[in-house]
Amino acid sequence: MNRHLSQGISATPHSPIQEASPSHSETAYLPGDAYDEMFAPGGVTRANYQLLDQDIQALGAQALADRQKTLERSFLLQGITFTVYGAGSATERIIPTDLFPRIIPAGEWARIEAGLIQRLKALNLFLADIYGDQRILADGIIPRDLILGSPAYRRQMQHLFVPHQAYVNVCGSDLIRGQDGEFFVLEDNLRVPSGVSYMLANRDAARRTFPHTFREARVRPVERYPDLLLSTLKSMAEGVRPNPQIVVLTPGVYNSAYYEHAYLARLMGVPLVEGRDLTVHDNRVYMRTTAGLRRVDVIYRRVDDDFVDPLTFRRDSSLGVAGLFNAYRAGQVTICNAPGTGVADDKAVYAYVPSIVRYYLDEDAILPNVKTFLCREPAQLSHVLANLDQLVVKAVGASGGYGMLVGPHASAAEREVFAEALKADPANYVAQPTIQLSTAPCLVDGKIEPRHVDLRPFILSGEKVVVTPGALTRVALRRGSLVVNSSQGGGSKDTWVLADAPADAETP
Amino acid sequence: MMLARVADSLYWLGRHAERAEHMSRLAGVMLNAALDQTDAADHAAHIALAAVGDGPPGDPGDAMDVARILVLDRTNPAAVVSSLASARENARQIREQITTESWERLNFLYLRATGIGAEAAFASDAPDFLQRIIADLHQFKGSAEATMSHGEGWRFMLTGVYIERAQLMARLLKVCFGGETPVDDHVALVGLLRMACALEPYLRAYTADIDARNILEFLMFDEEFPRSIRFSTERIQEYLTHLSSGRELGRHDPQRLAGRLNARLTYANIDEIDVGGAGDLLTAVGAECAAIHAAIYEAFVAYPLEMRLPA
Repeated sequence: MNRHLSQGISATPHSPIQEASPSHSETAYLPGDAYDEMFAPGGVTRANYQLLDQDIQALGAQALADRQKTLERSFLLQGITFTVYGAGSATERIIPTDLFPRIIPAGEWARIEAGLIQRLKALNLFLADIYGDQRILADGIIPRDLILGSPAYRRQMQHLFVPHQAYVNVCGSDLIRGQDGEFFVLEDNLRVPSGVSYMLANRDAARRTFPHTFREARVRPVERYPDLLLSTLKSMAEGVRPNPQIVVLTPGVYNSAYYEHAYLARLMGVPLVEGRDLTVHDNRVYMRTTAGLRRVDVIYRRVDDDFVDPLTFRRDSSLGVAGLFNAYRAGQVTICNAPGTGVADDKAVYAYVPSIVRYYLDEDAILPNVKTFLCREPAQLSHVLANLDQLVVKAVGASGGYGMLVGPHASAAEREVFAEALKADPANYVAQPTIQLSTAPCLVDGKIEPRHVDLRPFILSGEKVVVTPGALTRVALRRGSLVVNSSQGGGSKDTWVLADAPADAETP
Repeated sequence: MMLARVADSLYWLGRHAERAEHMSRLAGVMLNAALDQTDAADHAAHIALAAVGDGPPGDPGDAMDVARILVLDRTNPAAVVSSLASARENARQIREQITTESWERLNFLYLRATGIGAEAAFASDAPDFLQRIIADLHQFKGSAEATMSHGEGWRFMLTGVYIERAQLMARLLKVCFGGETPVDDHVALVGLLRMACALEPYLRAYTADIDARNILEFLMFDEEFPRSIRFSTERIQEYLTHLSSGRELGRHDPQRLAGRLNARLTYANIDEIDVGGAGDLLTAVGAECAAIHAAIYEAFVAYPLEMRLPA
């Protein structure tokens, strides 16, 4: 292990080190068939990773293990944890974090950024249309029942004024890189996407772990995210009241993303409120302070639509504020993201996003979709049923890696059960080819091994649309696993977006 | 102006942190006294137990077992770890209101005192374990003082600290001097001074003349010693005056109650108090603190909404 590391990570099968001493085959880095972020086929280190590679070689195994430990300790100390509830006790765990950054060259990022901005603009136009005149339905581009029958469609939002037509203010899309190195959008998260605090915390850690490389590599900063978020939220109160009072609404300390809610409120310098802190009187929203009631103008809510207002949505919810939605309708408060955005990130609507981009912007989508079969279409359903062993089948309404069949990894019996469910309720399912997510080197039990990763960048949209030059890279920690969700044992790592491309040689 | 819920959490953060510190000190003095194996030492252990518990102390049994219950037993709500967990939980609920520096101190302390190694560390060297908890709590308070804005939130937290301190001190003194047989033996009195973290300041004020009346005077009325009851009531009045300024608080004005209590201690005279009869005043301190606590709730946290709605 030591010897191997002292010579750097080397990719097999063609690396010179590997050939010189075959006994290293157990410890050498084996990227497999997927696109590897660090090594081009043949084992050559990609240009954007060369500085990091040198740094890793210089440090050696012991120093890396030490730094990984320091990093985990620092996360625990900062309280960057989620709580696992078990038999009578609650334990706090840190989200596993890998110390090697994932590095994206400037050229690739420019394309990602343009693609994300285009996509979010189109989706906001789509939502404005759906909750407005519904031209896209009248023109038959998208089947009417798919939208109006969606559980995420909120009829209460119909014809409601939303400043800048920005229904989605915070978006965290999931991107993946396929075998040929191209990025695809896998999912648009338009409801209450989380993870941005990990992007910031990971950056803090990675900068300390590889200070030398960080300085040399010209990494673009992500630290402005909280102020960008604040100005996005402020821009949503335009024309309501000058100097708006902004708050972050959290479900409370038992929510797994509570750390993030507190983190964002602290860095924006605004109050973190719970439903019980707010009250509505005469269609105005107030928070209960030590000096009496204070007006609230913009609510960055981190609770789901269903829980925002028990009078309008779920009656059994105690997380929200009674009367909040009426105040919103009356234009006395802005809720960000707007309720009802989930109708546009539904897994079936996803399949139509390229058409949505074309319809509203008259452009081709810069970032492609993953090929998606809609089981609601009989022809596509029979194709899916015939090829269950090669496809990933997902329930339309589910998220977080639940309600999903990964065909190639499932047993015949599991596929049989799923096929029945499919036939019973085809409209509830979509299917996609299994994609080998790209891999990136991770430190696992002291060894450097490839693990599959995705990419979650964060896009803000208010008066302007901005993408923070960075992202959360989620890691499937089990060898060979393609599931990166933190609820399913995923971890994360920092993502460096470089300021300029060194000779743009990232894909030799 | 801050959220009522946040003010509440800061107040309780202060109270629990103070309670954890006091309890660590009592447990430490008790363990130390148990080493001596004398009657006087037993007496010190009794004082410590009576000051933490509600009922009359039974047989203290093995000092180490008792100390473990006082320190590590999560089912005991008065245990040090329970107070630390509550302090930390309150801090976590208002994580965005306290500085990272103070939060990390408190979180570190909580993780160490409740972590896997805690039982073993306590068993191998309990006095050291307790000493470190106290030192860590001082660090937490120090970094809060050095990094937090000394505004409203700070005042709510310190109001909690001093109300808790005044009540704990009143209870401890009542155990020693409120009954029919006031403590008067040397070892027990020194133990009392240690429980109040007052030995060195006392010696500087009165020299090594360990006298029950002087001790009572020092711990109740000293103007400068930060753990005397009078020092605490003066702080409570000061913070509540700031917190109430410019507000219509009506009948429930906690500042008025705090002022009255502080005046009582400021203008009291030790010569008029019989050492054995300090109990009445000490009982009054406890009751007044409870009334101030209720008034703070009424004024700042749990006020009826109808009163505060805009016309």
